Amino acid sequence: MRETSLATLLDKLPLQDGLTVSFHHHLRDGDAVMNMVLEALKERGLKDIHLSASALFPVHTAAAEAIREGRIKDVTTNYMNGPAASLVSKGYLAGGIVMQTHGGRARSLINKERPVDIAFLAASAIDRDGNATGSFGKNPFGSMGYAVEDAKHAAVTVIVTDTVLDKTLSEPEISAQDIDHHLVVAAIGDAKGIMSGTLEVTKDPVGKRIARDAVRLLDALGVFQDGVSFQSGAGGVSLAITEGFNRILEERKLTASFFSGGITRYHVEALEKGLVERLYDVQCFDDAAVESLAKNERHIAISASRYANPENTGRIIKDLDVVILGASQIDRDFNVNVTTDSYGKIIGGSGGHADTAEDAKLSVIVGPLFRGRTPLIADRVRTITTPGRDVDCLVTERGIAIHPSRKDLMEILCEKGFPFYSIEELQEISHRFTGRPVEAERKERIGYVESRHKEELDSLHKIKEE
Amino acid sequence: MARSYLFIPGNVPRMLTNADVFEADALIIDWEDAIHANEKDEARELTIAYLESHRPENTRVYVRINSDEELIAKDSEALKGKDVDGIVLPKASRATLSLYEKLFSDKEPFPVIALVETPAAFFELGEIAAHERVHALFLGGEDFRTAIGAERTENAEELLFARNMVVLAAKANDITAIDTPFTSLKEAGLEEDCRRGKALGFDAKSAIHPDQIASINRIFSPAKKEIREAKRILKRHEEEGSMRFSLDGKMVDRPIIERAKRLLEKARLYGMTDSEDDR
Repeated sequence: MRETSLATLLDKLPLQDGLTVSFHHHLRDGDAVMNMVLEALKERGLKDIHLSASALFPVHTAAAEAIREGRIKDVTTNYMNGPAASLVSKGYLAGGIVMQTHGGRARSLINKERPVDIAFLAASAIDRDGNATGSFGKNPFGSMGYAVEDAKHAAVTVIVTDTVLDKTLSEPEISAQDIDHHLVVAAIGDAKGIMSGTLEVTKDPVGKRIARDAVRLLDALGVFQDGVSFQSGAGGVSLAITEGFNRILEERKLTASFFSGGITRYHVEALEKGLVERLYDVQCFDDAAVESLAKNERHIAISASRYANPENTGRIIKDLDVVILGASQIDRDFNVNVTTDSYGKIIGGSGGHADTAEDAKLSVIVGPLFRGRTPLIADRVRTITTPGRDVDCLVTERGIAIHPSRKDLMEILCEKGFPFYSIEELQEISHRFTGRPVEAERKERIGYVESRHKEELDSLHKIKEE
Repeated sequence: MARSYLFIPGNVPRMLTNADVFEADALIIDWEDAIHANEKDEARELTIAYLESHRPENTRVYVRINSDEELIAKDSEALKGKDVDGIVLPKASRATLSLYEKLFSDKEPFPVIALVETPAAFFELGEIAAHERVHALFLGGEDFRTAIGAERTENAEELLFARNMVVLAAKANDITAIDTPFTSLKEAGLEEDCRRGKALGFDAKSAIHPDQIASINRIFSPAKKEIREAKRILKRHEEEGSMRFSLDGKMVDRPIIERAKRLLEKARLYGMTDSEDDR
């Protein structure tokens, strides 16, 4: 059923207090759909809403307002930053916050652990048969990977779009049979917003040193072989590593089997040069990735479940050789925090961090040994996002540490005379620059971090009002 | 024996704190041109704090002092007893070396890298290079260009004579020759400039940005082919027990043997002699 008025559509939907509504974040900081829907629900006077969003960004001011006013009671998400994250950190939710992973969210949607009543899913276009895509239209954002399980498993699925195509899509990402309603609006947002965050190779000399040493480590460990699979994020250091990775593939005339996860122009360039056979794309981070996904059949959109659901035996990342990941903190047991800062304020979340760290054969954390006066290595991270048992290496600008359980890696490095430290030694080095920090006090619990297997990994605590 | 000398402004805490991670063989903490007159005291204080708390263990550290007498006096006072490998003396000449001797006379007699950047210095170059404290000559190309009114050319032709002179004076006195920094940040031009300097006989090159270090280190390191050749020369030298012999139809004598020894010493210093290709 196609509507052009959100108000008219809402009249037809089973709205009630305590409703669970879901959204995806493929438009990232350019999304208009979540604000549009939450403002309309405010007009209807709905309260005790459970917001299930794959991620929340600074643009989501209506979510922040609803949290502040107490209309949103619970939030389940994989990543959040901006005003909504700040209010959640300050304890504004009457219910609580659950931080999942991308793979864990797919699992929980499929298993209906937190059933979604209505999924409002942005699509950049629908075809004449009602199938949905992220690849065409006025605001193309590429892969719809994080929306696929919402569409399949929500009680009601609404596709929100600003473009109707006069043709039938051959490979829609969301089939019309999974869609209950179509809402055609003036704009789903601004697709330029997908390019939020750092999407260029770092220019920072410290970041460049980290990237160089990470590539040297991969080389010493014998990673560079035909058929290697690789994933890295979109941060400046990760992209510098991707660039270095591609350079070695090119110099040695090697071909990787696949790159996965969030895709940028650096991954696309590798595909177009023949350095990698396939890209498995769960999210496009820039225009080049969006364009490539629409035209290159070896650039393949995948759902969050196919990407990282631990209960999906065909998930892509179970075949992943190497993943490069960031950290806001890491501790002496190699537990990694990318969810909060060292004071407990929510500044991000796992996304695919914990998923890929667990599945990849080699997980490498990269980051500067200190930022300002805050050391990277803590005695105990403020919040565990990724358990240390899933982390193999840490690369900083002043040295590399290997998880004590990876004696195999240590033996290879020793044989090659490649220097590395214990993580305790690196922590000592950082304290020479920063001093030993005092751990911030933990106030009342506001929620928790959930592993991809549904275990509670760590608690989240309220922070002080500024 | 350093390959790269990286300038670090003495008044930028983040650059000082991270100076050890840029992989330069030597650092030159700048108290002269990079520092505004109002910030000289701050630069001295920050540098001294850095030397006392975070001086890198495996990197040589030099300070480029000022050239004005009043400022040199303050610089020498600040450096008294400090752990530096030497000072870079700007606008090196007989006069500035005398000033240096006077102002540092009862303090640390630091080794000097003489920064040759004025036309007059080239008429005193032999004396500067022969001075007992001077252990390296360093061409300051930018100031030299300005002083002679030369235009910058793509191939740095305007510096060719000066470069030759610095190399000759340094080699005649068995000290190090350090090439002028490449002041554009274009990587391709940098590599060409490094190769040009190395071909002229420079032992090392200075850098104005950490991004330049990897290229400088790579180009000023002995090449694998050079290492293999040096090993063959020294092996034959040991076998023959002679300073004059033939290898591959070419005559080898004392200078070639000495050069091979120096090259292998440099290769050993940078951990290059045991690479697989050289076994």
